[in-house]
Amino acid sequence: MKRKKQSVQSIKTVFTKSQDYKRICYENKITKLTFTLTFLTTVTDEKIVRDHILPFLLENEWTKLEDVKSILPIEDLQLTDDTSQIEKKLLNGFVMLTLEKEQQYCFISAKKENIRNITVPEVEFSVIGPKEAFVESLSENLNLIRKRLQVKELIVEQLEVGTLSKTNIVLLYLDGITNEANINTMRQRIKDLEVDHIADSSYIVQMISDNQNSPFPQFLDTERPDRVAATLSEGKVVLLVDGSPHAIIGPVTIVEFFSAFEDYFLNWILASFFRLIRFFAVAFSVLVTPIYVATLTYHYELIPQDLIGILVTSRRAVPFPPIIEALFLELTIELLREAGARLPTKVGQTIGIVGGIVIGTASVEAGLTSNVLLIFVALAALASFTTPVYRIGNTIRLLRFPFLLVGDIWGLIGISLCFSFLLTHMIRLTSLGRPYLEPIYPPRLQDFKDAFIRLPFYKQSKRPNQLRTKKASRFDRKNVIKKVKKDIDE
Amino acid sequence: MKQIQLITLLFFFLLLSGCVEREILDEIILMEGIGFDYVEGGDITGTILYPDYKKETEPENVTYSATGEIMKTILQDIERQAARPIAFGSLEIVIFDLELAKKRGILDLIDAFQRDPAIGSGIYLAISENKAKELFKGEYGLRGNARFISMLIDHNIRHEDLPKTNLQRFMGDFYQQGKTPYLPLIKQNSKTKIELSGVALLKYGKIVDVVSNEQSFFFKLLADKYSNGLHRVEVDGKEAAVQSIISTNRFELTSRDPLHITVHIKIGGTINEFTGNKLTDSFIKKIEKKFEKEIQKHCTQLIKRFQEKEIDPIGFGHFVKSKTRNFDFNQWWDSEYSQMEVTIKPVVTIDEEGIIE
Repeated sequence: MKRKKQSVQSIKTVFTKSQDYKRICYENKITKLTFTLTFLTTVTDEKIVRDHILPFLLENEWTKLEDVKSILPIEDLQLTDDTSQIEKKLLNGFVMLTLEKEQQYCFISAKKENIRNITVPEVEFSVIGPKEAFVESLSENLNLIRKRLQVKELIVEQLEVGTLSKTNIVLLYLDGITNEANINTMRQRIKDLEVDHIADSSYIVQMISDNQNSPFPQFLDTERPDRVAATLSEGKVVLLVDGSPHAIIGPVTIVEFFSAFEDYFLNWILASFFRLIRFFAVAFSVLVTPIYVATLTYHYELIPQDLIGILVTSRRAVPFPPIIEALFLELTIELLREAGARLPTKVGQTIGIVGGIVIGTASVEAGLTSNVLLIFVALAALASFTTPVYRIGNTIRLLRFPFLLVGDIWGLIGISLCFSFLLTHMIRLTSLGRPYLEPIYPPRLQDFKDAFIRLPFYKQSKRPNQLRTKKASRFDRKNVIKKVKKDIDE
Repeated sequence: MKQIQLITLLFFFLLLSGCVEREILDEIILMEGIGFDYVEGGDITGTILYPDYKKETEPENVTYSATGEIMKTILQDIERQAARPIAFGSLEIVIFDLELAKKRGILDLIDAFQRDPAIGSGIYLAISENKAKELFKGEYGLRGNARFISMLIDHNIRHEDLPKTNLQRFMGDFYQQGKTPYLPLIKQNSKTKIELSGVALLKYGKIVDVVSNEQSFFFKLLADKYSNGLHRVEVDGKEAAVQSIISTNRFELTSRDPLHITVHIKIGGTINEFTGNKLTDSFIKKIEKKFEKEIQKHCTQLIKRFQEKEIDPIGFGHFVKSKTRNFDFNQWWDSEYSQMEVTIKPVVTIDEEGIIE
């Protein structure tokens, strides 16, 4: 008992150092009972205290803390004698009500919440489809998901991470569909985290990745609640982090990083075509400058005769070997991208123009680079922007450079060597313990229905093999295929 | 342990990178053509041709020449004149002068080309009636002389009467004992014009005979599967130009003793031009018959000629060998080939005669 008293006292002394700590004594008008309200002004909503707590406590008749429950119009009321809770509750925006004679504490919820309005998704914008994006509030985000999956099987599990930030993390899955192993792995990884402060879901993504030394993102993060709902119903596990407008989805495969959610809003033929273009663009973006360097340095035989003239004349005035020329241009593009990302939008645009037009043409005219390479580098940069997920775009930005270097050292053999290293790395990668390169490796023919191309919805009656869901079938395909008409106007 | 292995592996890889020779595109001479001329006394003059690319204008044709006994000494001499290393990889055309092909033979010169991995087997070999040095000094067109000559040959193979030829085919024909190789023959008309003047037939690297342009249509029917040539047929004083769209030839060993081979030639064609008034069905039949007769006549003539000169560019020897167990080539060339009987059985069908009725 004594120790408890002391700990309460120590909490008080620590808190009194803070300027927003308030401890006020009041007297009930009828029973003349003195009571104390303790709260932090910065996390409690003073309006609630003023309008919904104080008037009721002052004007109604009550003598015990037990009575408060019946007189206050606030549903979240807790009575406890556990002093260890004081600190947490106060910081969470509760008002602590205490009486001189009683050893219990009553916590009244009066949380102050500043919620940004729900806005249009910026990173994953789509022309068609819902225009809602997650915000920084966990409850608001959960609301956006619950709205889309109105079943009791949607389980919301609460976890906490960070000795200092005390970040709330919510684990979402569909009971009876999602594989238990996936849920358990995800839960265990969150629980095992030893960290003091979490600023964003990106911290979590990096910390729970299977291979933290890989440039490839092993979890998908999205700001679209519709995408989260869709992946949940596929049988995936989703994490929401309080204070972060991005949900984390796992397990994922590499191909999912190249599929925009808009693909599902478009007709399957168009969607498949755009997806293939994206894959081509990525391959082009990574390989075009390394191949340029390799062929110009070692394999002039491979260049078509008609192209040689163009290449030779454009490189004639350039005093550098192809690798220096290529590195110069690639680094210029990277500089522009970094500068553009750091600067405010209005200045950023001018930087883009200055970089794109002035530096590009000027360096060609000055004879520092060849104009053929300038076209390739610009196209490669453009192609790397086609990735619908921002994270993989960054990976692709980086991948080019090792290829470029080995292309200069060993030519095309080096490029294929580097590619086999990359492939080996990707084959070994896992996401939540599930193969990352699926359905290519291990080959799962069934999962090709939504990989490089997206087949129509009636073909998507099975959940992905990779997820090993408890219920493999999403719907009965027989009901979907309707009777075929004999004539067009029947 | 694994890491040490990886590091040593990478270390050796890096060391090995020094072994690869860098050939940066604009720092080498991209030789596109090479020609060989006969010099009195048995030496050869070699001339290399490369395009010096200029911005927004046609490339300038630059040639270097040197005289020597074998190709490598010639090239060594040429390297002494050049400011950048000479690269063989974009070689398009090899020219031999007619005199060289007659007196010395071209085989030992070709050998170097089939050994160099940088040289593709699709390059064209040709024999020139003029000196190769002079041929290379002309100004033929847009993309440099070597490109022009190789495009000229390519075009004539695809659309005209020249049977398929390149280094691969030449070597194949040469090593195939039952066949003798052939090469296109080129003639320089003026400083800016060249033309294909026939097909040169070789044996052991020396030129033996030439098929003229007039007969090369028939030669292609025999030697190549697909012919796209044009031939004029005269019937009753009216002339019709028949374009062959499709042609196939099939050899048949009709009898072994005496050796008799039947060549079935099928041609599907259209009439491109006709000097008469009306083209009736019966007249088309007449044209077909006449065309067949002409094919029969010319092809038999050609084969007779080949038999006399003991060359076999069509590959009858190879055909008979493929049908005969324990085939003896010595006996074939000694007696069998010259005594062989060949019957030509052409079938011509004219499918179209123009769109306006």
